[in-house]
Amino acid sequence: MSIVILRVAAALYACATAAYIVYFARPRHARLATAGAALLGVGFLVHGAAIGVGCAEFGGNEFFSLRGGVALMVFLVAGGYLLVQRFYRLPTLGAFITPFILIMLLPALFGTPGNPELPPETLRRPSLTLHIMTAVGGVAIFAIAFGAAVMYLLQEREVKGKKFGALFLRLPSLDSLDKLVQRLVRLGFVVYTVALVAGTIVATQIWKSAWSWDPKQITSVVVWLLYGILVQLRHNGWHGRRYALLTLAGFVLVVGSMVTLKVVPGVTRHAGDYGANAPTELRP
Amino acid sequence: MSAREVFLVGLSHKSAPIDVRERVALTGDALRDAIADLRNADGVHEALVVSTCNRVEVYVQAGDDAAARRFFTSRSPQSGDHLYVKGGVEAVRHLFRVSSSLDSMVLGEQQILGQVKEAYGIASAAQAAGTFFSRLCNRAFATAKRVRTETDIGRGTTSMSQVAVELVEKIFGDLKGRSILLAGAGKMGALSAKALASLGADRILVTNRSPERGAALAEQVNGHFRDWAELQDLLAEADVAIVSTGAPTYVLTREMLAKAMKARRHRSICLIDLAVPRNVDPACAELSDVYAYDVDDMQNVVQSTHEARRGEALRAEAIVEAEVMAFARERETRAALPVLVHLRRRAEAIARQEAERTLARVGAKLDDRGRRSVEAMAQAIVNKLLHPPTARLKEAAASGDGALAGAVAELFGIPAADPGPRDAPATAAAGREAAPASADRGDTEQPARAGGPLERQPTR
Repeated sequence: MSIVILRVAAALYACATAAYIVYFARPRHARLATAGAALLGVGFLVHGAAIGVGCAEFGGNEFFSLRGGVALMVFLVAGGYLLVQRFYRLPTLGAFITPFILIMLLPALFGTPGNPELPPETLRRPSLTLHIMTAVGGVAIFAIAFGAAVMYLLQEREVKGKKFGALFLRLPSLDSLDKLVQRLVRLGFVVYTVALVAGTIVATQIWKSAWSWDPKQITSVVVWLLYGILVQLRHNGWHGRRYALLTLAGFVLVVGSMVTLKVVPGVTRHAGDYGANAPTELRP
Repeated sequence: MSAREVFLVGLSHKSAPIDVRERVALTGDALRDAIADLRNADGVHEALVVSTCNRVEVYVQAGDDAAARRFFTSRSPQSGDHLYVKGGVEAVRHLFRVSSSLDSMVLGEQQILGQVKEAYGIASAAQAAGTFFSRLCNRAFATAKRVRTETDIGRGTTSMSQVAVELVEKIFGDLKGRSILLAGAGKMGALSAKALASLGADRILVTNRSPERGAALAEQVNGHFRDWAELQDLLAEADVAIVSTGAPTYVLTREMLAKAMKARRHRSICLIDLAVPRNVDPACAELSDVYAYDVDDMQNVVQSTHEARRGEALRAEAIVEAEVMAFARERETRAALPVLVHLRRRAEAIARQEAERTLARVGAKLDDRGRRSVEAMAQAIVNKLLHPPTARLKEAAASGDGALAGAVAELFGIPAADPGPRDAPATAAAGREAAPASADRGDTEQPARAGGPLERQPTR
């Protein structure tokens, strides 16, 4: 059932993407941007319903699989973008975010969802819910920052290269993109920090050890450090191109590690492989 | 179109040199007086005068263009050699093109529409522009709006200082809380600094080798003068640097910028070099977050704007053409309506007469309902009979075919006033039949009103 609702949400996202892209090509039709935002909003709500129904169906387990996790992240990216566009008038950002949402969601639309074999009761604790929500939320915010950084670099190339083409006219000013990237990085870092703290609590409770050299833990800390450095650099007055490039690198690392750790079987004790790899440790 | 034709007599930057244009150009009260004179001239029904620094154009709805020509020749005898005269659809097209900025010196510039609107306002206030010009001008404004929204003719920047503003906007958004550095006392520099100040810059810092000229310039642009020796520090402070000194060498070198960027922690800086020979080392642009532009770069933007606008002008012309045709068709339709009014009026009069005659003879034998039936029958015959020709006439008129209306007028012996051939003199038409359709200034308004019931009846 949830997969059907999810497909409806994906269709709405596709329409929003189309509206934003056409808007990007023909910025004179400002209504397209409004339509894109509205479609994205409805898609977001439907997606929320899909997640709700999915939780009822599979007990929240699907978030432990790559497809479920990605679907949740995409959900938060959409919500995050809807929030951003309330405060910043940057409709062109939609043309960068919505295709990303759509592409990330595509794999989740096929195959059977969830993993009904794994309802580890020990995992049902608030700290874990917080850990998952903030981790995915932080990554979602980093994703939007990534989109804004891509826009920054594209616009930077236009402005620097004196081309003044179609992109030059459509993209917002470098300064507004720079500020947006910086704010998103800062916010994402805060949320991600909460995720690490919650994760440590969960690990202490379930694995009896806060740190177990799990690859997921290592990459998470690396990502956290990287974004922490970004926040600190900004504090020291770093601006411009280098900052955007680092933001880009940070997100590539996030997505790269996420995918790698999911694709290589048994490499981490996190997520869906958890029960299969360490069933004995589960029992307190 | 009616017997009174619209005529345009005018001269513009394309046809006349400035010394002729300035002699006939009018503003304020002089313009109002001139319009009143035109309006009172013999044979002139309505008048409109568009007078800007690039053109003076007189539009009249009149029997001929004599009065409009006199407007020019009485003010400057030699203007006669530079005049262009257009009539009918040509004149309509011209006004639409002018309003849409297709005839402007700078293609796609935005001021002309406001100027035509103002001209219409003045003519309207002077009671010189009536229903015809109201309709014509509104259509012209609508056309201009369509052109502006449906094409990119108004897009891009056409002057160097505007280019500078646009570049800075794309880098900084606005300049709130930022400062502009003006180095050197070149004239273009001061102009650009002023244009940039419109983006809300906090301060303009001025520096110059000669302190006297620098201080004077600072006063002129409302800035603060700083000593030339501070240039390096100023680069760390300002976000936009406009450089236009007379120096034959690079005033800003790569080393200076590299140092400044370090101090700025790579906050972006925009360098605008307006000097020839150049004052900013092109190698500065290699540094990250330094955006440097010279005169050529800015000129290229202006050039490409002009090219793009020329391309868009083709699309704009198509819109204008469609609007001109639509306007002409509308006029034709309106022109056909008086024939219909006459035809129906006459038919209804006959029906009424015949019904009365019948009722006078047999009415006594009928009850109320019977009498109403007789009247209704007479009306029904009229409606049924007139329905197909009414529809056909409207169709023909809408497709620009005035011949059918003429034929109907001929066939039924209806005076061929407004609906008739275009060359029929208006005065003669008004004399023959004092029909509301042709008797007064509202020649286009009234048939439309009279046409109201016509449009409803046949559907009953």
